[in-house]
Order: sequence, then structure tokens, then C-alpha cells
Amino acid sequence: MALEQYEVKDYAGKLAKGFLRNPLTSVLGAFLILMGYLSLSIMPREEDPQIAISGGAVIVAMPGATPREIENIIINPLERKFREVKGIEHIYGQAFNNYGIVSVMYYIGEDREDSNLKMYDKVMQNMDILPKGAMQPLIKPFDIDIDIPIMTVAFYAKDKSVDDVRLHEIVRHLQQKINAVQNVAKTTLKGNRKAQYNIEVDLNKLSAYHLSLGQIMKAVESVAVDVPDVKGRTKSKKLVIFGVKNAIESVDDVNNIIVAQYMGSPIYLRDVAKVREGVDIQNFKTASILFKKDRDAKMSDEKSQVTLTIAKLAGTNAVFVADDVMELLKEYDAELAKEGVGYVVTRNYGERANEAVNELMNHLVITIVIIALMLVFALGWKESLIVTFTVPAILAVTLFIAYLSGQTINRITLFAFLLSLGLLVDAAIIVIENIHRHLHAHDVDSKDMDELLVEATDEIGAPTNVATLAIILTMVPMAFVGGMMGSFMKPIPLNVPVALIASLFVAYIFTPYLSLKLLKKPTHKHHHHKGGK
Amino acid sequence: MKGLEAFIYSILGDKKKKSLVIILTAVAFFASLMMFPTKMVLAKMLPGKSDNTFSVYVDTPTGSSIEQTKEVSECVLDILKNEKEVMNLELFLGQGIPLDYAGLVKGAAMKQTENVAEIAVNLTDKHTRKEPSFLMVQRLRPIVKQKCEKVVKGSNIKFIEQPAGPPTLASVVLEVHGDDLTKAREIAVQVADIFNHTEGLVDVDVMADDIFDKYELIPDTEKIARSGLSVEQVNNILYLAFEGMAVAHKNSKNMPDQIPIFLVLSDKSKRLENQSETALKSKLSSLNLMNMKGMMVPLIEVVNVKKVKSNPMIMHKDLSRMINVIAETDMVSQVYPLLAARDVMIEKFSKDYEIQKAGFTTYMFDLYLTDKKTGKKFLLRWDGEMKVTLDTFRDLGGAFIAALVLIFLLLVVYYKSFSISGIILLGSFLSLIGVIVGHWVANLFTSETFFLTATSLIGFIALMGISSRNSLLLIDFTKSLMECHGMDKRRAIAVATATRAKPIALTAVAIILGSALLASDPIFGGLGVALISGTVAAVFVSLIFVPVLMHNAKAMDFKPLDKCDVKEGSISITK
Repeated sequence: MALEQYEVKDYAGKLAKGFLRNPLTSVLGAFLILMGYLSLSIMPREEDPQIAISGGAVIVAMPGATPREIENIIINPLERKFREVKGIEHIYGQAFNNYGIVSVMYYIGEDREDSNLKMYDKVMQNMDILPKGAMQPLIKPFDIDIDIPIMTVAFYAKDKSVDDVRLHEIVRHLQQKINAVQNVAKTTLKGNRKAQYNIEVDLNKLSAYHLSLGQIMKAVESVAVDVPDVKGRTKSKKLVIFGVKNAIESVDDVNNIIVAQYMGSPIYLRDVAKVREGVDIQNFKTASILFKKDRDAKMSDEKSQVTLTIAKLAGTNAVFVADDVMELLKEYDAELAKEGVGYVVTRNYGERANEAVNELMNHLVITIVIIALMLVFALGWKESLIVTFTVPAILAVTLFIAYLSGQTINRITLFAFLLSLGLLVDAAIIVIENIHRHLHAHDVDSKDMDELLVEATDEIGAPTNVATLAIILTMVPMAFVGGMMGSFMKPIPLNVPVALIASLFVAYIFTPYLSLKLLKKPTHKHHHHKGGK
Repeated sequence: MKGLEAFIYSILGDKKKKSLVIILTAVAFFASLMMFPTKMVLAKMLPGKSDNTFSVYVDTPTGSSIEQTKEVSECVLDILKNEKEVMNLELFLGQGIPLDYAGLVKGAAMKQTENVAEIAVNLTDKHTRKEPSFLMVQRLRPIVKQKCEKVVKGSNIKFIEQPAGPPTLASVVLEVHGDDLTKAREIAVQVADIFNHTEGLVDVDVMADDIFDKYELIPDTEKIARSGLSVEQVNNILYLAFEGMAVAHKNSKNMPDQIPIFLVLSDKSKRLENQSETALKSKLSSLNLMNMKGMMVPLIEVVNVKKVKSNPMIMHKDLSRMINVIAETDMVSQVYPLLAARDVMIEKFSKDYEIQKAGFTTYMFDLYLTDKKTGKKFLLRWDGEMKVTLDTFRDLGGAFIAALVLIFLLLVVYYKSFSISGIILLGSFLSLIGVIVGHWVANLFTSETFFLTATSLIGFIALMGISSRNSLLLIDFTKSLMECHGMDKRRAIAVATATRAKPIALTAVAIILGSALLASDPIFGGLGVALISGTVAAVFVSLIFVPVLMHNAKAMDFKPLDKCDVKEGSISITK
């Protein structure tokens, strides 16, 4: 076939040669793109990449102590003990009246479970240094995944018939259902008011009846008791179960509690206090909402609301979780409307993540099209087509590897792709440009097409490898950038080198292969092109 | 192509022209570097991003009631609800909004006092909205603060935007470290005052409790013992009367939670006339305690009332006492207001304190103060975004130097020559000219300031690789022309430059087009602009400057080889 066999020197030529006539090359191409597509649809999506922040707070209460006292006997010793733990970046101490908080922040990237364990361990080991009168310390580690809700839904009463207590009841019921949705982790209620019987004592009446608050407290306590049922046995060895019913069943029961006897006649609670079935009046943490249907509508009046927050499990897809929750809410639409309860979704990170990812995907596609158009003018449409094919193939390989290594698709990952886009067509452009030049060289007729392709690829192999390696080397040190920013940017040093390596392989394997299928030797041999033109 | 070849050829032949190219390049390089001190190009870690949401933190002075906090919050809501682009407003009194990234480091989860409130503001979708959220915040901030902060004196209202990158406590954080609490507090207040007068800084807050008047009830133990009472009883009754307690619980089948039975004085009977001591005393005198004999003892009889100052919370960081003063930036980089404020501080504090500046670390802007009279030491330490910025730039700088060294080593291995590797490295370093000038141009064309950001630096690092590739291909080609075709050095360089111009330009155009969409992104705009303008600079550098250096380098004197690696015809230079 060939007049003179070309001697392959570089990996580039070997790859080109090995795959040029291989029927599996096209299968490999299809497989890569399919894998990329699957990874794209399966991989968890999120807006910002996960930053491994570990840390937590230890709260120690000591009623009656002033900040200075708390500082001396709780904060200082605890802080000193935390200095013994490796991996802690900062220790913060706060001394308040009656309690103190020591919070620790680990270096970014420290393993969360380990850090939590170390913190817990340190406090438990040193329980003996805590002063007398201090209460059991509360240890609360951070957990970003669980602590930051991906969805918040505000429920409000549409009409007056639904009071705060009823609203709480309905939302509490729904919370149970939503918590059962797959991958939903922590759900909490905010601004909820619980049912409570309020005994509001009138101070003047109290003095008039010659009573003290302590008496009233004792009187109520003595009535409101729950006792388990008792078992009695009959002569015929059978069991008889009986129990004292709780004396308080309704507000009236509370009203009718006798707090004292005065000159033989009873004084009821209702004589000195107002007892009402209401909400927890001591709780000042309330929430309200104002909303409108669309941009031009008028803002509604302020309504009290209960917000249900929903967090997802770590590593799961926020988009899917949010969709599932939305679906469940839709199911309850009719029921909620019947109860007179409306809701507004006030946060949906799932949707936001999806939008951010889709927007960037569009950018990627547009960029690829622009580059393809540019190449049509510079090289010709067939050459452009070849280069354009390599881009999705490279991205697919990169995505697939990212999926296998447990990454998520987020803004930074996609920026890494956009950043590498300009770089990764280079290898293919250099190969195709060289093939193009060889095809238009004056000695083209003396060569076999196969050999020409392999030679053209092989020739630029060494410098292209070194140059690509140079770009990879610039990216690698970025992986060692520490702190929040380093973690935030991590997808760039993780993905760009992979994309660049993939670009080399794809350029060496598929560019000659596709050239063989699409490009022909020019027939007008009398016409000599200038080099590289 | 012929034109370029002739152009390069003519430059290489003339010593003067060669020097001119080198001098021009050097001038361009230093001129672009001068854009930093002259503030033509401003640096910031990450610019703001437009979002669909922002939040407002309301802080009334420590010791304020929930009603007062509500009043201030309602005022904010009244202004915000008339905004067309606001879709819904959520007010959370006495607590934070559901935790988000911004709140994570700002301690939103810890909020549980009567003097705090947070408002979540959800806007229309950012794609359909003309005004970006950061401009909206900038516009609303003065209006809201001016009208609502005076509702309750001493209130502080902050606008919190979602961070574009990793969250920090605030853009500008100054920690006043010092063991003397009162003095440190004084300094903190002075610092806050300086911040308030610094242009570009807004939402200034001293993160310390305000000191307010409170009453201490000192139990008279002798009287208590004599009247047959106990101190515990006194405490309990006081708490029960004014705060209330759940004295019992009722289980319910129909309710999702237990129903507490809550005992407290009625609102009417527990409310005091005013904040004076007499009002408190008269209220306490009507509150009776029953002793063991069943006799009533007025509470006021067994305690003494004393007016005292409240004990403010004490904050520690890394085992030393400190007070945070925080501020946000108003659409500017935190670097410049910070330096301006620091200059004012040095001037102002030098009266009473000896000032010592910190050495060259990532805490390089810190000030050490020593009281001239007492000799007490204080430390003013910058944290927040400044620290993160310095850390990041230090790390990226380190990454950059590491990248330089790695590329250099790679090239030395490939070419076995230090000078050729040096040329490539120098050539790629010069793309910095393009990066800086590009930011200056971008700044001219955008309505907001276009900052040189951390992402610009990443772009620059990536550019190093790209432009070294250009030079590399050029040198490789020249080498084979000289070795295989026996061309003389000057001609070979000119021909190689002309031949490689096309792929160099092609890949450059690919990068420019590929980055065009990046440039419009608020966060990665810096990266996009760096890549675009840096690539343009890199093309000029590798087509004009690098050939000159190549011609000057002795290492480029390749001898024609008998047996050539590259086959005849593969490099087609048709004449």
C-alpha cells in the first residue's frame, strides 16, 4: 500500500494508527457521549460547590453568673482545653449573663465526622473542670447540609376562621408527610404558635383574696397529674384495669380549680385569674409574610405565617428533592384550600440550581456553535465538523470522570468547562490544521491517506503534549490553595486537567478517524497551496 | 503571511528595531503594572452578583422589647412593600430567617433575643428584572436607614446580600483585641466612628452589647430568714410573676404537641408605669409571698432595689478578649476604604497610643497600640473579607510561582536549554499586560466598577500555559526548519512565525470566543476578560517579542543535521 512506511515516534501517532481502521472507534465515540449524557442527567446538581466547614459550639449554662464569672470559670478553661485539639483554626468564646458559648472552627477541609468526634471527646473528657452549679454542656456541631434548608414554604391562614393554633396543627401534620419524602433530612417549623392554656393572674384580686402566686401554682400542679392505669386482681385470677382520669380536659376544668378556701367557701381560679385557651404568649418569636401573585399586583397585608424549612441529605440531588416536595404539596393543594390555608414557596434552591446549571449548559452550547462557525471560515466546514464533534466527546469524558469521583454539577464545575473549552479545542485544531496542511502539500500524491493522517498527527504530537502538559501544570498548584476560596474553586483544578488530557486522547484518536471518513485528498494537484494556508 | 514573514525578517535584521521591540514591551509591562497604584484598575476578591433575594437584619439596642423591634421592622416592611420588584417579604421577629449561606457565618442561627429581627426579601426573577439586586440594595439602603433607624434610637439596620463566593462575617471586620474591656470598647466605638466617616463603608456596627440600666434586687437574707421565707422562693415567685412558667402539662389526642398550662401575671397587672425605680418598687410591693405560717409578706420588704449598669457580653477570639467592628462595602472593593480608614486611625490614635505596624504576613494591615500613659496593649486586627482576600491572593500567588517553576522544569527537560525555557516563560508572563489593560478597558465599558478579582488571577495562571504553548510550537518549528532545511536563523524564525501565525491566531480566536460568554458573568467576568485580553496580548508577544528574543539567544543556533527527524515535505514552505 504505502510506498514507504512512516515510522511512528509519538504516542499521538500510535493512538491515531491504532484507532484509524478500528471498527470499535465509532462505538467508543458513541459510548463516551452516552456516558456523558447519563452523567449529566444523574449527577446531583447544586448552585455552589460544597465547602467542608466543620466546627461547632459548646453551650454551658450557669444560672445567676455574670459574664465576668462565666468568662473565668467556663470560657477560659474550655478554650484552653480546645487548644489541645489539632485542626482547629479559631476558637471563639462568648460570655453572657447566665451562660457561655465556646465555638470552634476547624480548618476548611477537615473531615467533619472526625472533627465533631474530637470536639465531643474533648468536652466529655473535661467534664470535671466545669464549675459547680454549671449545667450539663450542650454540644452542637455545625452541619451545613442539614442546617441550610433547600426549601422554605410559608403557610398562612386565608381567612379568620383558622387561628394560629389550627395553622400550626395543619402544618405539623404536613411536616410529617414531607419528612417522609425520599432524601429529605431535617424539617423545622419557624414562627409556629403552640396551643397553651394561659392562666393570667390579676395581681389586685390576688391581694384582695389574700393569696400568693405560689398557692396558685401548687393548686394547679396538684390537679394536673397523669398517672398510669393500675392493675387489680380478682379472686378468679383475672386482671381489672382502672385508672384516675386526668382532671384537666378543658379550660373549664382549669377555671374550676379551687385555689383556697376562705371562711369555708371555696375560691376558684376563675375568681382571681383569666384562664384562656390560646397560644404560647411567652414566645416572642413570631413570623409574618407579605406577598403578591405577580409583579404588578398589589402587595397583600401582613399575615402571620408558619414557615416549614426542608433540608436534604448530603450528596443527594437538590433538584429531585425539591421536585418531589413540590409534587407532594400539589397533592395537598385541595385539602389545604378546604382548610383555608394558603402557602408561598419562599425558597427553592433546587430550582435555582437547575436554572444555574441549565443556563451555563446553554452558554456551553452557544460557545461550541460559535467556535464551530469560526472554524468553518478558517478551515472549511468538514474540518469544522470534526473539531466540533471532539468538544462534546471531551466534555462527556470529563463529566463521566467527575461523576465517578463523586463530584456534583455546580456553577464552578461548569465554569471549569467553559474555561477549558477554549483550551481543549486547541489539540484538535492543531491536529486538523496539520492534516489540512499535509493534504494541501505538494507531495500529497506520493502518500497513502492512512499514512498521511498518522504522520500529520504524529508530527505535532510531541510539542502538543508538552504544551498541554504545561497548561495542566499551571492548573495543578491551584488544587493546593487553602481556605474557603480554595474549596470553592476546587472544581477548576479537578476538572480542567482531566478535560485537557481527554482533549489529547480525543484529538489523537478521533480527529484522524473522522478525517479519514470526511476528508478527501484534493484532486487538483497542479495547484500548490502555500504552507499552512 | 508573506507580509508577516517580511516584517519579522526586517525587524530581526536591525539591531535598533530589535531594541525598540524590547523597550516597547518593557514600557507596556511597567505601564500596565502602574495601573494598580494609580487605581485605574481596582482589585477585589469577588464582585457582587445579582440574586433573587436579599435579607435585612434589624437590631434594636440590647435590652429593647420585641414590640420596639417590631416597630422598626414594620417601618422597613412599609418601605419595601411598595417596591415593584419585591414578590414577597417575610418578617421573623426575635429569630433569624431560615439559615442561608450569608447567615451561616453571621450567626443568624444563634439569634434568639427580643432585640433582633430578620426580613427575607424575595424579588422577581433576575432574568426579567432590569435592576440587579446589588443596585437595588444600594438604592434602598439610605432610604430605609434614614427613616427607620430613628424609630427606636440606637437601632441598626443591615442589608445582607447573598455572597458571590464563600461567605464571611462582613466585608470589613476589625477586631479590637485587648484585656482592658472598657478601653477596648472605647477604641471600638472610635473605630466605628471612623468607619462611618469613610466613603464606601455602610452598615457599620460594633458587635457588642449596649450597656443599659437595670435593677438589681438584692435579697436581704436576714429579713428573709426572719419572715420564714427562702431566697429560692423569692426567685421563683419573681420569675413566675413576670416571665411566667408552664406549671403543668396536659396530653391531648387531637393536638400534635402537649398543651402546657402556663401561669403568669396578667399583662395589665404586670406592666410597670415607667422605667423608674419607684414604679418598680410600687409593683413589687403589691406582690406578696406566703411564709410557712401562712402569713403574707410583700416582696419589697425582703429585697433592696439597686440601679446598676448591665454587664455586656464578653467576646473572645483565640483566647484573647476582643470586640468586633464590622462594616459592609457599598459597591466598592473593601481594600480601598479599609486603607483609607486605617490611615485615619493611625493619625487619630497616635495622640494617645504608640502605634506599631505589623510585618509582612496576611495580617499585614494590623496595628499594635500601646497606651502612652498606662502601657496597656491593644491590637487592631483586620479580618473578614480582607483576610480571606489576602489568604487567597497569597495562595494563588504561591500556586502561580509553583506553576512557573513546573513549566520551566518541563521546558528544560524538553529543550535541554535554560535560555530557551527562559524565553518561553518570559513570553508567557507578559500576557499580564493584556490582563491588566483588559480590565481597564472592561471598566470603561461597564456601568459598575469592573474589578480585578481572584478569578482574573486564575485566568492569568491558565494563560501562562496557553501562551507558553504558542512560543513552544514556534521554537519547535524554527528548530526543525534550521535542522532539516538548513535555513539560516533569521530566515527560519521569520518563516516559522509566519507559518505558525495561523494556528496561533486560530486557537486564540477559539479561546476568545469561548470566553466571551464568561465575560458577562458577574463572578467569572474577571476570568473571561483575563482570558480574552491576555490571549490578544499573548498573540502579539509570541509573534513579535518572542522571535526577537529567539534571534538574540545563542541556544537557538541549531546546526543543520544530516539525518533529520522531520521528513522532507512535512513542513511545506513553498516559495
